[in-house]
Amino acid sequence: MMRMQHQRVLATLVTALCLFLGAAIAQNANVRLVLAISPRELAGTLPGLIDQFEQEHPNIEIEWLQVPGVPGEQYSLYVNQFIANNPTPDVIAADVIWPAAFAANGWISPLDPYLTEGEADEFVPALIEAATYQDQVYAMPFYQNGVHLFYRTDLLEKYGFEPPETWEELIEQARTILAGERNPTLRGYVSMWDSIEGLTMNYLQFLWGAGGSFFDENGELAIDSPESIKALQTMVDMIHEHGVAPESILTYRPDDARTLFQQGRSIFMVVQGFVWPILTADDSLVKDDVAFMRVPYFEGFEDSRNVALGGWLFAMNSNSRHKEEAMELIRFLTSVESQALVAAESGNLPTRAGVDEDPALIAALGEAARGFEIFNRYGNVRPSAETGAHYPEVSQVIQDAVSRALHQRQTPEEALAQAAAEIKRILGQ
Amino acid sequence: MSRSSGWWLVLPACIIVGGTMLLPTLYTAGLSFFRYSPGGAGTNEWIGLGNYLRLLKDGMFGTTLYNTVLFTVVTIYIELTIGLGLALLLNRMFRGRGLVRLAILFPWALPTALTALMWRWLYNTDFGIINAFLLQVGLVDQPINWLGSVPMAMIAMMSVAIWKTSSFMALILLAGLQSIPGEIYEAAKIDGAAPWGALRYITLPLLLPTLLVSVILRSMDAFRTFELPLNLTGGGPVNSTEVISTYAYQRLFEYVDFGYGSTLIMSQFLILLALQLVYVRFYLGVTRK
Repeated sequence: MMRMQHQRVLATLVTALCLFLGAAIAQNANVRLVLAISPRELAGTLPGLIDQFEQEHPNIEIEWLQVPGVPGEQYSLYVNQFIANNPTPDVIAADVIWPAAFAANGWISPLDPYLTEGEADEFVPALIEAATYQDQVYAMPFYQNGVHLFYRTDLLEKYGFEPPETWEELIEQARTILAGERNPTLRGYVSMWDSIEGLTMNYLQFLWGAGGSFFDENGELAIDSPESIKALQTMVDMIHEHGVAPESILTYRPDDARTLFQQGRSIFMVVQGFVWPILTADDSLVKDDVAFMRVPYFEGFEDSRNVALGGWLFAMNSNSRHKEEAMELIRFLTSVESQALVAAESGNLPTRAGVDEDPALIAALGEAARGFEIFNRYGNVRPSAETGAHYPEVSQVIQDAVSRALHQRQTPEEALAQAAAEIKRILGQ
Repeated sequence: MSRSSGWWLVLPACIIVGGTMLLPTLYTAGLSFFRYSPGGAGTNEWIGLGNYLRLLKDGMFGTTLYNTVLFTVVTIYIELTIGLGLALLLNRMFRGRGLVRLAILFPWALPTALTALMWRWLYNTDFGIINAFLLQVGLVDQPINWLGSVPMAMIAMMSVAIWKTSSFMALILLAGLQSIPGEIYEAAKIDGAAPWGALRYITLPLLLPTLLVSVILRSMDAFRTFELPLNLTGGGPVNSTEVISTYAYQRLFEYVDFGYGSTLIMSQFLILLALQLVYVRFYLGVTRK
């Protein structure tokens, strides 16, 4: 009797399962793509773009997976999906430092088989370089942003200064203004010097601006070079020797620096361009007294490419079951029209060469459009392509070394020598 | 009910516990003997005790172990003291006791990540309310760099943990206090015991089992602390608040170094296991007396 009942339950379950699977298969007549991207920095443009894409491709349905706005959290989320060999999300938005690491692990597909001849050349070369791993392109740039020097026009004018081109000028001006203002809550210089990716960007900007580079022309690690030591020594001196940067800068992430600057409490600030709309909004205390320019370099290195670029690119999950359709979506989102729309709404700069000459777009972007010229001429990318899967660890070693020097635990020379040894071990050199 | 139907009833629990706890633990233990990184660039190679040897030479593991132990010992000691004081206070009858009990539990009820972010703002050197207050009343003339200097960041982190968890200690201890019969105190009073003597010779000995349980629970929690350092300090400055959990997380999910990451987790697991065995022995000794 008992056994009979068991069989009946089993039969019911199997029938139910069959019905369920049947229904699921019937629904899949349409291709369903999962697109993972954070709503941050897109100013609400994505739903409209998705609608438009679905109208143009009636057989494709897009599901938007809204991921957290913090890049580190996105990174962990994607790594988890990839390790589990999940076929979704099909398309992800990747920070400019991720494609090489993801590619080295085989988690994202090379796009070369889907790209037409010369298609990759239509984008900003530095970003394609960051998306290239072992001669294959793995991602297509969606938008770019980079680091700017923001400064207080009113304070500089009051003391008769021209905006500083070099670090030497910036330090001198900050010292003079701080001494003249005698305002204990005013800071000379703020930036993101907490032990985060932003600190790596900051160090690299000092390094590049001193004529140095992460790897030399032979591909040898060069962070213990005299240029590198000079770069880091300058950062240390800005806190401990010149007193233009407060010690609290060592806990600052971009938004902390932005808050202080927006309260009118700092003369200079170096952070990413996304703060511009916030600083110039009506509720900003400095909205009429702020301007931005190229990040400073050291005297004599005017031609260095010293501005750290950031940006987001679209990549394709290598386990995706709909790669052709995924490529269609990527192509649509990185098209001139889509990029122009996103740029006009959010202030993020497009990545297609030539888009920056569109007069309508320049007008829509306003002052932010000046970023094009700065990034095109002086933009540089972090060594993520060269270090591949090891970039996160390499960047952490840099952050630790720079922090040790900034906290005066080690001299810049000692800190960088130790970092160089650690990075060589990580890269197996 | 037959014997076999009993087994059927506990089967779901066994599957859940086995599937979500036992198997992953064994899997992690297994991984710790491999050089393993999932993904195309990854390796997968049996290296025996290689990861454990690496652990012994890894200065960062030493640092995080030291930080973790320091954090655990100091916070538990202070939480226990404050918790006991609160529990004794709450055990008395006074007007509004229910309300006070509720209010005291508030910090404990907040999610840790939220607490950490909230305190990050309070501690902010340049626009945090703590420095604003200290400057206003003239206790300091320069803002204190709470989260950006050594050892202040660790002290700041411990303070948040103590603020948050003392109430939890108080709650457990309060339950213990309420299980002590009032007659014992009356008898002691008749025999002429001073209040201090009653605390020393009646309350504390009878409360000892409860004290031990709360120490066991809290030390496991504190030893595995993760959200607090992750969100408050990110392990900085110069790794002075980096703990084993955040270090292991970094190895596992940022560097995708599953072999060594698992080794870190296993070492944490084994230390906790040893600690619990000591506690349990001690606990049995106390309760059997």
